[in-house]
Amino acid sequence: MFGPLLDALIFFVLTTPLVGLMGQRVGREKIVVGAYVTFAFIFSLTLIPLFYSEVLRKNGISILYGSSFSPEIVCLEANALSIFMAVIFLVIGAMASLFSIREVKRGSITGYYTILIGMVTAMIGIVFSGDLFTLFIFWEVMCISSYALVAFRKERWESIEASYKYLIMSSAGSITVLFALSFLYGLTGTLNISYLSLGLAEAQRNSLSYMALVMIIVGFGLQAGMVPFHTWLPDAHMAAPSPISAVLSGIMVKAGIYGLIKVLLIIFTPMYWSWQITLAAFAVLTMFVGNLSALLQDDIKRLLAYSTIANTGYILLGLAIGSHRALTGSLFHVLNHAIVKALLFLSAGAFIHKTKTRSLKELAGIRHSMPITSTLFIIGTLSLTSIPPLNIFWSELLIIAAGLEAGTSLLSLLMIINLVFSAAYCLRLIQTVAVKKETTISKKAEEASMLMLIPILTLGFLSILIGLYPSPFQTLAEAAAQATRPG
Amino acid sequence: MACSVILFFIGLYCLIVKRNMVRLLMALEIMMNAVNLNFIALSSYGAEGAVHPLAHVFTILSIGIGGCIIALGLVIVLYAYRHYGTLDVRELRRLKG
Repeated sequence: MFGPLLDALIFFVLTTPLVGLMGQRVGREKIVVGAYVTFAFIFSLTLIPLFYSEVLRKNGISILYGSSFSPEIVCLEANALSIFMAVIFLVIGAMASLFSIREVKRGSITGYYTILIGMVTAMIGIVFSGDLFTLFIFWEVMCISSYALVAFRKERWESIEASYKYLIMSSAGSITVLFALSFLYGLTGTLNISYLSLGLAEAQRNSLSYMALVMIIVGFGLQAGMVPFHTWLPDAHMAAPSPISAVLSGIMVKAGIYGLIKVLLIIFTPMYWSWQITLAAFAVLTMFVGNLSALLQDDIKRLLAYSTIANTGYILLGLAIGSHRALTGSLFHVLNHAIVKALLFLSAGAFIHKTKTRSLKELAGIRHSMPITSTLFIIGTLSLTSIPPLNIFWSELLIIAAGLEAGTSLLSLLMIINLVFSAAYCLRLIQTVAVKKETTISKKAEEASMLMLIPILTLGFLSILIGLYPSPFQTLAEAAAQATRPG
Repeated sequence: MACSVILFFIGLYCLIVKRNMVRLLMALEIMMNAVNLNFIALSSYGAEGAVHPLAHVFTILSIGIGGCIIALGLVIVLYAYRHYGTLDVRELRRLKG
């Protein structure tokens, strides 16, 4: 109905509770549901190459549902950008679901997995939607699932508090987006993305379209963790179960960035000069606040969450520079940051699972008792510091080089200053994990189980692989960046 | 349209000023209604007096989504009440840093 990928995923969402029920009968609910959902993600990943060849055959856009020939018809379509994002979502989703088998408690596991796969499905829907209202519906499905997942450990006060904060802020943001959509609809009579850009080019000097632009930046930026709308992010990442933090930080924030790319670069292209400065200012603010707050943290997950905010700043900076190379850098950074941040959150989750503490003081010297996890954690941290043979280095280099090329060397300079800040807290993390003396708590920890190690090892391997052979992945990012330029 | 903009800002004001958890959810609902009203108002621009069916579709779907948000919000408020024993958002300040 909606093309093979979404159909398969929706089928898996609907059947997960049934599989859970069967697993309960057998008495091994956890393993059965976890394996089923991981299988679902991997199966969907195998559908992607098929899909990609079809997109290439049809000149870059393949219509999945409805048609884009009439402005009033809802449609789903796929291009290189959406497939690029979908691959990231599915890989991180698979890793998180594999990791969750050990992390989540027995009683509520079926509900947990159903919401998790529903959330990833909604994100795939976001990247495939060809009109803004479909995008909004999938957006809300994603948001509602993530509120539920943040509040998942409902017996703990911090989950409830974080989830309430997140719910109020994020729904206010998405309602703001919807309000902007209603203005766009009033201006052009359609919400189909290709028609909107045509319609807006005609109605350019209308103050309503500027209002809509501001509201959309605020609404999507809120989800992407843009300062000053970032306050939900550290709380939600801290209070959620660790695999969910990996999903939130690795891919849900990226869905917000996808929304910004779609709206700013495709619909508001004629008004480029009016949003570039604003977005650059927000990006610089986001980098500084994220990095400086991360320096002060003692909670390991909170520190990583602030570093997510800083990385959002880098990606937004690439968008604001706006040249083809900068956009390639941004999308490449989306991929790299998703992998590294998922790696870091999952290995931090393994530490937390074994020691029951999130404080860096108590986790000191954990290398001696959990060597493999710590090694991979250190690889992830080094990558976050942008040490050359690891993946994040390449994308950050691209963004900085693009800034110099486009004549905005001030932005590149500010980003380099921020990289120094981020190196400071990353080195502190490494020192804590590897150099400091063991505490009583970290002495008692033991190596994580196999099911936790597999996703961590896979992500670490991907990080090194992309670092050593960046060019094929960069070509993919370039194709995705090309897809945002109509004509 | 003017009406819906005013309604939206009433909702936003409410969201900023009010201290009761349930009232914050009500503020969200007011904003949602402003959006729905705006869709209907703007869709009759093209042809006088007639509302385009597309706007009806948008409105009905967004009412449904609003219902979902409020339902989940009330569940979370219920749990928060059990943890804190109050509906005052000023009490929810333990997360810091």
